[in-house]
Amino acid sequence: MNNLMKTALANRWLEFAARWILGITFIYASYDKILAPADFAKIIYGYDLFPHDFINLIAIFLPFIELISGLALIVGIYPRSAVLIINGMLLAFILVLSINLIRGHEFDCGCFSVKKAGYLSSAEPMLIRDIIYLILGLQVLLFSGIRKGCIGRLSQLSFYLG
Amino acid sequence: MDYKKLTKEITLLLGVSVGLALIVNYFSPAGIALIGQWDTSQGVITARAKNDVFIEALEIEDVRIAKQVYDSGKALFVDARSREDYEDGHIRGAASLPVGQFDELIGTFIDQHSPDQPIVTYCSGRTCEDSHNLAQLLLDFGFNNVKVFIDGFPGWEAEGYPIE
Repeated sequence: MNNLMKTALANRWLEFAARWILGITFIYASYDKILAPADFAKIIYGYDLFPHDFINLIAIFLPFIELISGLALIVGIYPRSAVLIINGMLLAFILVLSINLIRGHEFDCGCFSVKKAGYLSSAEPMLIRDIIYLILGLQVLLFSGIRKGCIGRLSQLSFYLG
Repeated sequence: MDYKKLTKEITLLLGVSVGLALIVNYFSPAGIALIGQWDTSQGVITARAKNDVFIEALEIEDVRIAKQVYDSGKALFVDARSREDYEDGHIRGAASLPVGQFDELIGTFIDQHSPDQPIVTYCSGRTCEDSHNLAQLLLDFGFNNVKVFIDGFPGWEAEGYPIE
């Protein structure tokens, strides 16, 4: 088992695929939210977990964090940092979904399309999906080899940033 | 892992995201305020978007006032919810004009009602904006006396007022 995990963690193609899957998923997920922030804000309100003063800020910032981290993963700029952000978001989604699942609170997921407002998604498939994404994210995070398809080793930039 | 480097990179990625978000939100016609109105005791909830249809002056916030308007017999109550919701129960005497089917139904509605007809739109209460959308559309089509009853069908039903 340990060997299998080590092989999976060191697999460059798996790392490449995981980065693209996560990248495309998060860019896609950000699209509708960016076009209709008011609808997304209403969905956040529907989760009934956030202080009212923060709802709009989440609706404004979250889609762009998804977009930028997704893009960074695909082009390979700061892939480890980008996947840390994405895993952080996934952990937050998993937490929020679990809380509402446990207390039986129904809500509109709003994961991919805010246009489905009013459509109640079941939390279990979303939880399973997010856990799979999280595992892919961990592979990208823990991968220590040379990553495929990164546009440049921009990590040197941090040298200039001090 | 080099935590210092990671922190720097994450700060940079988040900084770019936040900056871009603020710029796009500022210029986008669909942009929203930094703080919305999410307290139902203050009225209909809204993210306060630039393209919001909320005209607070149109709102009837007190269900008893709505009942007085209803009892005067002059106003036509118009249900903005879907036809199924309307058929499940609505304010007695209300007309159905689902905002999602507005384009196909407005012709008949105009034929049946004069532009001076006082109208009160409603939907499912303070978490619903369809009644505001409908009111705006009716104003655009020349109806000049339109109000929005913001507590909608649930608020009306809870008071035990006439439904059918």
